[in-house]
Amino acid sequence: MDLLNNLLSWILWFPLIGIVIIFLINRTNEKAIKWVALITILIDFILSLILLLNFNFSDPGFQFVEKKKWLDFLNSYYFLGVDGISILFIPLTTLTTLLCILISWNSIKKKVKEFHLALLFTNISIVGTLCALDLLLFYIFWEAMLIPMYLIIGIWGGPRRIYATLKFFLYTFFGSVFMLIAIIYLYIKFGTFDYTLLLNKGYSFGIEKLLFLAFALAFAIKIPMWPVHTWLPDAHTEAPTAGSVILAGILIKLGAYGFLRFVLPMFPHASAYFTPLVLTLSVIAIIYGGLACLAQEDLKRLIAYSSVSHMGFVTLGIFSLNPIAMKGAILQMINHGIVTGALFMCVGVVYDRTHSRAINYYGGLATTMPLYAALFMIFTLASIGLPGTNGFIGEFLILAGTFLSNKIATTFAALGVIIGAGYMLWLYQRVFFQKVSPNVKNLPPLKTNELVALIPMVILVFLIGLYPNLFLDFMKTSVANLLMNFK
Amino acid sequence: MGITLNFSVIFTEIIFILISSLIFLTDKFIKNKNYSFYIAFITLIVGIFLALFTPFGNFTYAYQNDFSSSILKLFVLFGAILITLISYNYLQHFKALNYGEYYGLILFSLVGSFIMLSAMDLLTIYLGLELMSFPVYFLIALNYAYNKTSLEGSLKYFLMGSLGSLFILIGLGLVYYFIGTFTLPEISHKLIEESINNKILLLAFIFFLGGFSIKLSFVPFHMWAPDAYESAPVPITSFIASIMKFTAMATLVKIILIGFNPLKVQIGELLIPIILLTILIGNIMAIKQDNIIRMLAYSSIAHAGYAGLGLISGNYAGYSFSIFYMLVYLIMTIGIFSVLVFLANYKKDLLNIPNMAGLSKNYPFISFLILIFMFSLAGVPPTAGFMAKFYVFLFLIKAKYIWVALLAILFSVIGAYPYLRVLKVIYMDEKDISFEYKYGITFLIPVCLTAFLVIILGVYPQVLTNIIYKTIYLYVNLFFYPQ
Repeated sequence: MDLLNNLLSWILWFPLIGIVIIFLINRTNEKAIKWVALITILIDFILSLILLLNFNFSDPGFQFVEKKKWLDFLNSYYFLGVDGISILFIPLTTLTTLLCILISWNSIKKKVKEFHLALLFTNISIVGTLCALDLLLFYIFWEAMLIPMYLIIGIWGGPRRIYATLKFFLYTFFGSVFMLIAIIYLYIKFGTFDYTLLLNKGYSFGIEKLLFLAFALAFAIKIPMWPVHTWLPDAHTEAPTAGSVILAGILIKLGAYGFLRFVLPMFPHASAYFTPLVLTLSVIAIIYGGLACLAQEDLKRLIAYSSVSHMGFVTLGIFSLNPIAMKGAILQMINHGIVTGALFMCVGVVYDRTHSRAINYYGGLATTMPLYAALFMIFTLASIGLPGTNGFIGEFLILAGTFLSNKIATTFAALGVIIGAGYMLWLYQRVFFQKVSPNVKNLPPLKTNELVALIPMVILVFLIGLYPNLFLDFMKTSVANLLMNFK
Repeated sequence: MGITLNFSVIFTEIIFILISSLIFLTDKFIKNKNYSFYIAFITLIVGIFLALFTPFGNFTYAYQNDFSSSILKLFVLFGAILITLISYNYLQHFKALNYGEYYGLILFSLVGSFIMLSAMDLLTIYLGLELMSFPVYFLIALNYAYNKTSLEGSLKYFLMGSLGSLFILIGLGLVYYFIGTFTLPEISHKLIEESINNKILLLAFIFFLGGFSIKLSFVPFHMWAPDAYESAPVPITSFIASIMKFTAMATLVKIILIGFNPLKVQIGELLIPIILLTILIGNIMAIKQDNIIRMLAYSSIAHAGYAGLGLISGNYAGYSFSIFYMLVYLIMTIGIFSVLVFLANYKKDLLNIPNMAGLSKNYPFISFLILIFMFSLAGVPPTAGFMAKFYVFLFLIKAKYIWVALLAILFSVIGAYPYLRVLKVIYMDEKDISFEYKYGITFLIPVCLTAFLVIILGVYPQVLTNIIYKTIYLYVNLFFYPQ
């Protein structure tokens, strides 16, 4: 058992142990189920930190590679590996799942067993998506994610959960269908699912454009880019806290990750060709998402629309095709995972107490829950991009990088920052200041599990905000390597 | 080579017919009706060994036992054993059906299926088809004791089946008139050697296809399926959906592969509209069904369509993955129907989808099984349903039918909805259901085995796909490039 050589497999499959144990536990013993899930993911998180520590910064290629025969007949491999682009997301995933278990410690009351099974299963499929380098394997993890998410939103969600979960499932299922066809087409053309062998293949430009569109549709729906974003507000709003956190924290990042990992390196010419389109859509997403936020009456829905806006920044950064913006985009993906995840957790905290998400239901929360208000303030400011927080670094890098390649897009995108400050501060004012609403008068303070779940996010906000190089170093060589295609 | 009467080749079939006749004859005199289950079950287990050890060879030109037919028979026997188990489970609660005839007829039908799988000429295939179908008409009508509409279902199926027989007979006549033989290898040799008008042979094949369409429930011959499925005893429904379809598909592949090989590309083109319509209509009609068996009937129409995609591709790999698809479908269907048998046993009205609301609250194990089978039927990885679809699409695209594959996959997005709806009702609606139940061994074995296979084949289908692919590959080479 050489841990380091099979580290990715260990991280990927470790939750399976938890799944098996939870299966064997009697469903009435909820406490044991929660603890098993928590400890499993905690160990998984520690394993992913070991992964971070053993990362070689100067190597632009894939590290921790594992390649074993899987389906001979199709020439398909069990092929895992991480590089500077994907490595940071693995600890982010395990951390998010860990915090999800913590934050929903008391709020999930029915089907506790299924809930934790679904969370662990989500963790496996997301980590699998992030480190699979065989297209078939990737697709399987990518689609398998739908099963637990369908259940998480549908079973433990809010009043309109069934509509939301069906919409989510069918949207993403529809998107991936074209990717499946494209994957099969690539396989038939080149006889392999191996991602590293599919790079720098010559296609005719027409075919490359079609392949680009097939992949891009799947990823764009997941991100989600305007105009295919409509599943997101419903799914985020109706999902339980843990579901929203996973959706916002990691799931929608996978779309952007897909662009970075598959679309740009495999179809560089088509990517360059479609850049103006994607930039336009990103700018529309930034501004439209921001304006939509201003009109929301529902806390979660507002944060959901802010995701649309923030992910617009990410796609903007990716398709600026220069190293500064791209690093900014990757960092912004992580930032968004942390900040929006934390904001959803914060909303979950009050939702558990009041069972209302309406903004005008609240008011004066700062008086009744001061510590909570302080934490929310930190995340609000990080979301706006105040210097010193992580949001600033991401947005600044993206805008600075984009400015070098497309000034008009940058100008419009910068408008989004202002709108962002507007809706977040206005939200904060409406919920936390003003007269103390009678609805929130006697709310209990933060519980330990909630505090423990939020503290790591605060630490990360400032860590990235004050010393971003710690994270940027990971992606430097890989991003440079990726952009070689566009020289 | 003269005509050989090698009785050891048809030993399995002889044993099966003798035993089923024995069950028919002695049933009147034995009080404990479960004995016929034991006889049938032991016969099937013995049948596995017989299928493994029967010597390869011919019984006249019409019948040939070779590795391909042996392997296909093993799959059929595997399905039949599971169906006998769930039948036992079902008949304990529906005692008016619990007579020896029930198992005897299943055995008879299996003999028909074996004959189809081994037959080497069209006439024998036709006879096998009839032998497989007639016992099933009876079995559907047996349910009259519990469901007055079963006569209607049975009669509908019978009428459609007769129409199918008619088509096949016309096809036979055309083939005999223009080629002068019924034997499959000779048909294709003649097609290659002599310049026979292909159009007429294609017409003959269309008539054959019409006959098989009824068994496979291809559009436009799918109308009988929902009624027959709904009115039959639940295990018999799974028999119709799994074993009969598997046999029909495997035989159709054999007819195309050996008999009409030179025409396989034209046949593929011919099938495109039929298959696409089958998938579309099956998936769309499944959306509105409230009765889960009717829903599965329409889904079974759609799944036959997906399996048929392999026939379009017109290459050997495509054909073998049609068979693989049908095998996976056989496993999934038997699995989901075992669960339905359980529900029908303890609370019959649960077969209506809206009544299942909140099932997962008190019955997590059953609900979880339904979850696995539903996602597999919808074709979501990591289940066998995805892998089966993936292989079929892969070879379809390899044959340059990208647009067909694209449409078929888009239809499968529509097709996901009915399954998601069942899960929605079970997991997301809140209501209290409670009924007394007990997990018997005849329930646990089929469901656990099928659920396990669904997951394993979804993760590692290699072993099974290799077996089927190599079988078909060698089979074709044997006929067209003999040493």
